[in-house]
Amino acid sequence: MSTLKTLSEYVEQGKGKEARALAQKLLGENISADRIVQEGLIAGLDAIGERYSRFEAFVPELMVAGMAAQEVLEVLRPKMTHGTLHKTSGTVVLGTVEGDVHDVGKNIVAMMLEGGGFKVIDLGVDVPVAKFLKEVKYQEADILALSALYSPTRLAMKETIQALKDEGIRDKVKVMVGGAPIDQAFADLIGADGYAPDAPQAVKLAKNLIG
Amino acid sequence: MKEAQIYKDRRYRINELRAKNEKMTSRERCLKAINFEEPDRVPIDNWMVPEIKKRCMEYWGCENEEELLAFLGVDVRDNYGPSYVGQEFKTFDDGTVADLWGVRRKVVTYGKGTPHEGTFKEVAWSPLEHMTTVEEIESYESWPSPDWWDYSKVKAECAYWHPQYFVLNKGDRLDRTAQLKPMMYLRGIQQTFIDLIRNPEIVVCIRDHIVNYFVEYNPKVFEAGGGEIDMFMMGDDMGGQRGPLISVDMWRKYFGEAFRKYCDIAHKYGLKVMYHTCGDVYQLIPDFIANGLDMLQSVQPEATNMDIKRLKQEFGKDLSFQGGMSIQQVLPLGTTEDVRKMVQYAADSAKRGGGYIFGTAHNIQADTPIENVAALFEAYHEYGVY
Repeated sequence: MSTLKTLSEYVEQGKGKEARALAQKLLGENISADRIVQEGLIAGLDAIGERYSRFEAFVPELMVAGMAAQEVLEVLRPKMTHGTLHKTSGTVVLGTVEGDVHDVGKNIVAMMLEGGGFKVIDLGVDVPVAKFLKEVKYQEADILALSALYSPTRLAMKETIQALKDEGIRDKVKVMVGGAPIDQAFADLIGADGYAPDAPQAVKLAKNLIG
Repeated sequence: MKEAQIYKDRRYRINELRAKNEKMTSRERCLKAINFEEPDRVPIDNWMVPEIKKRCMEYWGCENEEELLAFLGVDVRDNYGPSYVGQEFKTFDDGTVADLWGVRRKVVTYGKGTPHEGTFKEVAWSPLEHMTTVEEIESYESWPSPDWWDYSKVKAECAYWHPQYFVLNKGDRLDRTAQLKPMMYLRGIQQTFIDLIRNPEIVVCIRDHIVNYFVEYNPKVFEAGGGEIDMFMMGDDMGGQRGPLISVDMWRKYFGEAFRKYCDIAHKYGLKVMYHTCGDVYQLIPDFIANGLDMLQSVQPEATNMDIKRLKQEFGKDLSFQGGMSIQQVLPLGTTEDVRKMVQYAADSAKRGGGYIFGTAHNIQADTPIENVAALFEAYHEYGVY
């Protein structure tokens, strides 16, 4: 529908107010929340992701697109059963590792994962290993997503994966890692299931990990 | 210097290479390099976190930091400018401390109980973060003043290093001449990214306060330097791991004019300008050059388009470089052979025709094995010779 396309454009362009208003209107016309997520949010976030990969969009543009998606989700949530999206793509526990207080990239990933249909539990920054473990178990998370910006703190990712093994739940959750000092080699070194260099690719990776 | 045999053995290689290769003072060496002439060897600059400095001093048997730098053959000496004589920076009940701009920081420990344990001062409170109008920002009462500094010792403190060393005037991380970085400290990183698109008038307001401070402060510093400052360094962070943080158009819209002003002021005092920026700023380099930049610092090798060979080829006629050594990957995680190869590659790629100073992309971090730091400096002296 052309108005769903318009919604995806509003999201892509970070026009939060317009996106929110249009989402309200579409709900009023009995368009399902699922369709709004698929054809409005996911389409819009995919589009900004594409532009980002071609250096046509940068961090500010990603940020406001993620925020526009959040504003639409605020409108959708009360219409869903049990106050959450009734059909999620999966549950992600997410946080910045212990000793690291950087969160801008992580926050964009969280917004885009939610916009992409995931249930996201964001534990914030400086998260101890024990807290990740506890939440992964409590939420029965499909994915644990770890972020670090400061290179010495990334070693906490290795400790977290080891803790999952020690707890006997390593095979129950997929671990994805990201942040400026992270690369595929580091992800392989520590036994992570995946690495993504930016938020749009993190969403694609999460979908692949769920399978 | 400690004279036990173990230290002498560790110091041997660097001493041997320096005795063979060095034919001029550090100052002469750096002046040649920044003026696109080939000196005796590639000059060396040094950025290290305190934890690594301490381990280096222990490793090589140096009693203090100056002995360490002198032994390693570090050519650059940092000058932090005037002394602060304003009101004492306030400490709060939550353990945070305010800085020059009223931004509050707390000490965060990482790697607790591991060999790479260290601390970092992290922003804990950004005073302008929750303001919603230009009027509110204008009402902020903690903008700094150039009158809060005593400039009287700048000349003597710089002259202290002459004639041997090359004096680089730079603020520390918290008060380095910049635009976006102080804005992010004051307003929060996330809110700044939002402002750049949604609240341009707020960006301009904060930027103007920052720029007005530095364009008044720096001439006072340079004047007080009395000819004893050799180069000026400013720094911002415009690059991400892949691509600049903002588009070229956005950079031109908000930051080009003051970048030019900062360079012009330094040039007026006969000072070339070094500019620190982490990350991939390849797309912005032509604008940096057009707006007066002399030397680009960091040249973070893992960042997507920042291969030093390519940058030297494309921009080396107009731009000199400091950096190129990996502190994200090779130094902490590589072998000593990887470190040597990294130095050799940078030297082979960038030293021709001068215009290059060895340096790490940022501070050598606490997670770096001492063997790799040793390999780095030995390789500097081995591969840097002309």
